Amino acid sequence: MGYVIYFLARRSAQGLIIVFFAVFFIFMVMRIVPGDPVRLMVGGAAPDQVLQKVAKELGLKDPLLVQFGRYLKGIVQGDFGNSFIRPKSGGSVGGEAWDDKRAHARAEVFDLIVERIPLTLLLAGMAMGWAILLGIPLGIMAALRQGGWVDKFANAFVSVSISVPNFWLGIILMLIVSIRLKILPSVGYKGLSYVILPSFAVSLELAPILLRTIRSSMIDVLQMNFVKVAKARGLSSWSIIMKHCFRNSLIPLLNVLGVQIGILLGGVIVVEFVFNYPGLGLLTIYAVLQRDFPLIQGIVILFAGVFVFINIIVDLLCSYVDRRLTF
Amino acid sequence: MTQNKITRRSFLEKSLKVGTGLAIAPLVLPSTGLFPRSARAASTGADTVVFLSAENVTGNWDPTSHTTLAQLNVEAFVFNYLTRCPMTVEKPQELVYELATSQEIMDLYTIEYKLRDGVKFHDGKDFSAEDVKATFEYASDPQKAAGAWYPGPCEVEVVDRLTCRVHTRDYGYPAYHFWYQSSFLPIMSATDIKDPKKLAQRLNGTGPFKFVEQRKDDTVMAANENYFKGTPKIKNLHFIYVPDSTTRLISLQSGEADVIERLESEQVDVVDKDKNLKLNTAVSVENKYLWFRCSKPPFDDWRVRRAACHAIDRQQIWYLLGKSGHPSYAHISPVKFGYTKVPGYPEYDMDQCNKFLAEAGYPKGAGLPELEYITSVGFYPKTKEYGEVITAMLNAAGFNVKLSVLETAAWNQKLYDRPGGGPGHMIDCGWCTGSPEPDLVLRMHFHSSSKRITGVVDPEIDASLDRERNAETLELREKIIKTDTLPMIAKKAPSLSLFTSVFIHGINKKLDNYYIYPNGMMDLERATKTG
Repeated sequence: MGYVIYFLARRSAQGLIIVFFAVFFIFMVMRIVPGDPVRLMVGGAAPDQVLQKVAKELGLKDPLLVQFGRYLKGIVQGDFGNSFIRPKSGGSVGGEAWDDKRAHARAEVFDLIVERIPLTLLLAGMAMGWAILLGIPLGIMAALRQGGWVDKFANAFVSVSISVPNFWLGIILMLIVSIRLKILPSVGYKGLSYVILPSFAVSLELAPILLRTIRSSMIDVLQMNFVKVAKARGLSSWSIIMKHCFRNSLIPLLNVLGVQIGILLGGVIVVEFVFNYPGLGLLTIYAVLQRDFPLIQGIVILFAGVFVFINIIVDLLCSYVDRRLTF
Repeated sequence: MTQNKITRRSFLEKSLKVGTGLAIAPLVLPSTGLFPRSARAASTGADTVVFLSAENVTGNWDPTSHTTLAQLNVEAFVFNYLTRCPMTVEKPQELVYELATSQEIMDLYTIEYKLRDGVKFHDGKDFSAEDVKATFEYASDPQKAAGAWYPGPCEVEVVDRLTCRVHTRDYGYPAYHFWYQSSFLPIMSATDIKDPKKLAQRLNGTGPFKFVEQRKDDTVMAANENYFKGTPKIKNLHFIYVPDSTTRLISLQSGEADVIERLESEQVDVVDKDKNLKLNTAVSVENKYLWFRCSKPPFDDWRVRRAACHAIDRQQIWYLLGKSGHPSYAHISPVKFGYTKVPGYPEYDMDQCNKFLAEAGYPKGAGLPELEYITSVGFYPKTKEYGEVITAMLNAAGFNVKLSVLETAAWNQKLYDRPGGGPGHMIDCGWCTGSPEPDLVLRMHFHSSSKRITGVVDPEIDASLDRERNAETLELREKIIKTDTLPMIAKKAPSLSLFTSVFIHGINKKLDNYYIYPNGMMDLERATKTG
């Protein structure tokens, strides 16, 4: 127990430093790249004096480090700021007048993000499910029949699915499944059936990695002595493969899954745009395209936090599973 | 206690089960209501229309707070106008009475409207002359974002509950300017106008559809059961912002949308060949322009602007646009009042280009600074493509142009003029208004009192625009526009009209009895849809 507390404390502190640098980096980059956030806030037609006044009121005339300190203070107090673009309704807006009475009724970044998280988790979860369904059985079969046609098929599947960009695959899936066959809906979100196609598109990026991991891990396990002994003990092939080999070969998956969550988030962003799926990915793309700095910063904190958290959990589990490992 | 302990094996086992469960859940639970069985099941119903917009709305529902086309389209569903102008090529100036039953020019400075009885706003309030008075006086305030659309301030006299007179004498312009504006100004409730906050928060009109809510990018509307022309057969209307044109097309093809706008020219063939879809094509009120930032060098000199105009071969752009563009020879569309093919409209002519550059002190472009040309992508067809062509032509003529291609919302934020000059040196934009009134373009953009995008201040253009505005009769005004104003604007070239847009909508074949105005507004009050 002492180890776990020490581990969590140490890794959380490290994680906070990583998140801090990620936020610092994105905060500074956003302010260095062309594009004036105040112009975005006050609208295209606002006179310069209005722009200067608003910039001063918001403290955007202060040195960058002072602004960053103030932003960090807000985060510590749970205030992630307000979107430059989106009103309380959460929609995409633009082209408003500078004296818009509702300009101050902008949505809170925290609310915008929290509202979208469940949809993205659903998409990512279902994609992970598809990836497991596709990758693991095929990986096991490929390992059992090395060089056989299943193994060759698995290799081809890995090569093709890793090479195909998921946004292209998404469009092809829409054309075939939604337009030609009319089996599933594809655009937006009005129910779980809207998640099937985008999640499948994301999963095809993930499945080959799981497949390769489980295949090589199974091959290693199959060559171990206990497998031969198990046969001698009269255990059935099914029992040896599923209860002993498969379980032992799952250990490397833990590490791989930790890393893949990151890839999954990246895949989700692009696929959400293609399918107009209203999750965090679509929100991220709109935020970048609309130069909505507070929203981008909030999303970066979330993503960095998720990365750090998952890696801590994975390392903790690995050290729990194999006591020889220390992190 | 041991049973609750998480072991490596139980963890992995459970993870596998959860993953598998998530993946197959939608396949095994089709009847929960969360899982439509198919795309067909997810298609819009017979009483629902889904309109996918290429542009976002503004977040402020006050119709006078913006000049955004997408929001005008939403307003057209919710509000009524005193008149409507179908702007057909055959009868471009025909007016159809809507909330008004007549309009009459009493004298140069007075126009009278008789109004329809028995009309109610969506909040239950009766429509009367007080609402017209409040709307006209509120919207025509030049300080409003959309104020420049209107000829100037006015006073409205309420003669009786259903009669009012618009007076313009105190403001020095003829009242007949409201003749065509009557088809463009949505009539708001006087009660709402007294409370601008309320006006900004929701739409309240007398039109065929009631505003229900803004659900993120989905503007949700429902049929107005008390509509004075009868309840629309379409009960639910969704106006959704989808910026990606491919996604819009796929939604239409899969039956998840009924109307999509701004088709790319290669998408036109796809829709044309699909047996479930149809096209709606119309030469629009919109001209697409290359706007010069006239309030800062080098385009504060009209000779440099003319040089740029003569460096651009518009034939190449028309060829590139295919069905989406119609040749333009004036700063207004052919369906506008006063249109004429302006003699000597700036055409591709390198001799003229070099002559004007030399006169302006930049022989063959020498000494010109780097110029930024801003355009958008995702809203108008082929902007990036013809933007590249224009950039190449200008650079070939000696200009030093850098093209910036921005996403719609970012471009929208950079669009308008501001003190010190708008961003960049040139920007691409169309201008589309639902009325034949030419001043919705001309005065809005080229008079120094408005200069919305260009920032142009030119006493000669002002004088010409004032002459046409103050003409004593409509006939005289038409003559001035054709022989004086349009040629003057062509000569000084605060912008170059690249082409007149052809509005192409992709439409579900099941939808009938609709009308799409040449500015993109849609009339669904009599629309029907088969199941």
